[in-house]
Amino acid sequence: MVKGTGIVFKYSEYSEDGSEAQNRPALDGIDINIKKGEFVAILGRNGSGKSTLAKHFNALLLPAEGAVWVNGFNTMDEGSLWNVRQSAGMVFQNPDNQIIATVVEEDVAFGPENLGIDPKEIRRRVEEALNAVQMADHRRSAPHNLSGGQKQRVAIAGVLAMRPNCIILDEPTAMLDPLGRKEVIDTVMRLNREEGITIILITHFMEEAAKADRIVVMDEGRIAMSGTPREVFSHPMNMKRLGLDAPQATELVSEINVELEKLELPLLPIDILTMDEALEAVAARAKPGASPGRRAPKEPPKRSENIIEIKNLTFIYNEGTAFEKKALDDISLNIKKGEFIGIIGHTGSGKSTLIQHMNALIKPVSGQVLLDGEDVFADKGRMKSIRQRVGLVFQYPEHQLFEMTVFKDVAFGPSNMGLPDAQVKERVERALSAVGLGEDVCEKSPFDLSGGQKRRAAIAGVLAMQPDVLILDEPTAGLDPKGRDEILEQIRLMHENLNITVILVSHSMEEIAAHVERVIVANKGKVALTGTPEEVFSHVQELEQMGLAAPQAAYLCQKMRDMGWDAPEGVFSTQDARDVIMPLLA
Amino acid sequence: MITNIAIGQYYPAESPIHAMDPRVKLIGVIMYISALFMISGIAGYAFIILSIGALIRLSRVPFRFMLKGLRGIMFIMLFTVVLNIFFTPGEKLILQFYFIRITQEGLILAFKMGLRLALLIIGSSLLTLTTSPIELTDALEQLMKPLKRLGVPAHEIAMMMTIALRFIPTLVEEMDKIMKAQTARGADFDTGGIVKKARSLIPLLVPLFISSFRRADELALAMEARCYRGDVNRTRMKELKLSRLDMKAIGFMSLFAAMIAAIRIFLG
Repeated sequence: MVKGTGIVFKYSEYSEDGSEAQNRPALDGIDINIKKGEFVAILGRNGSGKSTLAKHFNALLLPAEGAVWVNGFNTMDEGSLWNVRQSAGMVFQNPDNQIIATVVEEDVAFGPENLGIDPKEIRRRVEEALNAVQMADHRRSAPHNLSGGQKQRVAIAGVLAMRPNCIILDEPTAMLDPLGRKEVIDTVMRLNREEGITIILITHFMEEAAKADRIVVMDEGRIAMSGTPREVFSHPMNMKRLGLDAPQATELVSEINVELEKLELPLLPIDILTMDEALEAVAARAKPGASPGRRAPKEPPKRSENIIEIKNLTFIYNEGTAFEKKALDDISLNIKKGEFIGIIGHTGSGKSTLIQHMNALIKPVSGQVLLDGEDVFADKGRMKSIRQRVGLVFQYPEHQLFEMTVFKDVAFGPSNMGLPDAQVKERVERALSAVGLGEDVCEKSPFDLSGGQKRRAAIAGVLAMQPDVLILDEPTAGLDPKGRDEILEQIRLMHENLNITVILVSHSMEEIAAHVERVIVANKGKVALTGTPEEVFSHVQELEQMGLAAPQAAYLCQKMRDMGWDAPEGVFSTQDARDVIMPLLA
Repeated sequence: MITNIAIGQYYPAESPIHAMDPRVKLIGVIMYISALFMISGIAGYAFIILSIGALIRLSRVPFRFMLKGLRGIMFIMLFTVVLNIFFTPGEKLILQFYFIRITQEGLILAFKMGLRLALLIIGSSLLTLTTSPIELTDALEQLMKPLKRLGVPAHEIAMMMTIALRFIPTLVEEMDKIMKAQTARGADFDTGGIVKKARSLIPLLVPLFISSFRRADELALAMEARCYRGDVNRTRMKELKLSRLDMKAIGFMSLFAAMIAAIRIFLG
């Protein structure tokens, strides 16, 4: 279906004097052969060349050396350009930037219209495509009123209406919440299984890649590994070296194996992708009568002083219009000084609205937000200092960078506070080092930094105001596994070293469970659950009803209990799960 | 948050007005606006009010939606009315207060001007309320087609309008977000003189520009990937075809034009 031999590609960059600067090739001799009906996942850290390769499959880029054939057409052959693009459709990462029309069905019709297809036939294809992605009920909707997952399904329908043999998806789920991710992946799987469409999926989510027939791992413009998910993930050390992870279950088994090796016991099979398989492997080897390990209950630190108190907070969007929507419904909660709080809830649960109240960006319809006992909305003149004390890092904060240099950008906050230059400079330096950026970036343009660095610079911009409370809205969204780990580690260190209260909003239950002291679950504008991770994640069924889940390790222990083992509650990380399982094997 | 804004404020309903070919509607509105500026007597206004009233009933769009459009230009209307009241020279003095003279002629002219503006807005609202933006751009593209021979890029203009319409809500949302983010960093968009206010827009506009460029780049790529190549060999899912209904509408429009002409000639 798609074949590439010896693909080499270089991005040309022009230096300031106009001469063409040569840099490292983005693709450096790629040989790849994707069969009809195959589902291939492409993994690789940021900058590994995945997207560049994908663009070659659609003739958006042409190889400098080597050749690419799609459905038998050479992409270099200008005469067959439209054949190539029609046979290999492409779905991009940002749902907003690939929908052209103001009505869903018009957008789906865009491709066939460009191909010059008869209007009646277009109508038929649009209906078919919308049915295939289960969006037929929204055919007359405006795209900006759809959720992220729905928009991506419209984009897939837009490609389907061109009747492609192959769909290339370039990180289609990176900007979606878990529900949206599931919608998109389920749709893609169905198209592959039922319609026989070849799928090439680029992703940073290992659990998605595990569903593919084959995984191709890229690094520095080359193919570093290739094989079935079981083969590829059974080399966890290699994956780590390539800046990637394995699915949680694979990681767990490899951690158990490290221990088994120390005890010179036979290892568990490593080609494991799901927790069910892991449990099966353990069950097969468990010593009769052995009982699982206990874990020392974590004592949450005692904290007494309230820093933020929220009292009967209600907020309604577009009050008094046809679009009226209650976002917060009589919420009351307290946040203690020094706490590390996690907020979870699916899109539309009210969590973003809630955190924006905490630093006085939105005024409540009724109710109060108190910061150290002072009503944050009482005095307009004091709001600026309140916003400085409660730092808010928005989603994709790198989109707010605007200055000529990183230093100036980070200095924006402290300068607005009217501090003297020397103090601003000191704060900027401290903030940059707190996010793990060196002084060498100070004079660089923020737009020359890598994705992860940009995000850290943007976080530093908030940190430089030296807030008492730091709120982060999905700080890891869209990053590759290595970038995710780095940011989380920095946040943990900030909480530990700077003695601040941290509120982390995240879609990743593993992230939340591993880091926070207390979890707040938002659902339909209310606080549905609150408590330590142990308490909250024991309500698996309630969480699932809200479109959420517990960490995978918790499910594993749940299943162990179902099988009659006395596995403890409150196990969220693969390390903890390993300690629970080891006594069964050794 | 400023999401959920209705662009073009299309009001979906099943009505003959909604079902009409947008090209016919567009020409109709142009005729209606010309008529507004041709008449001046009471008979003319009465005829136009009657006609538009009938059309509004036919369209099944609640009248308050038309008034919404008026709210937006309230200031301009007031301004015109006040200007006409105070500055129309006339004989029949009603009130004099130092240099302010209010005359009967002034009052009548002000009333007419206000009415004319209101009718203008109501008429064009009727078009935008019953025609989706995409239909409107299609109609424009079709009507501009003859100009293509003169080198007017009709297709490109229509495509640009579609994309602009599509991205207004997205960019409004984005601006709202960046504004909040910079406010959270102590930016102040409200106070200070003009220079300070203009300067305070930099942290808002630079990210907005950068993101728009990024969006444009990605959108171009997505369009290319979906085989877009301009107006070459392109078909449309929804073809504009004149139906029986449109023929009727054209008939009514001709009668309307004839009536306006007659009123203008015989009644002034």
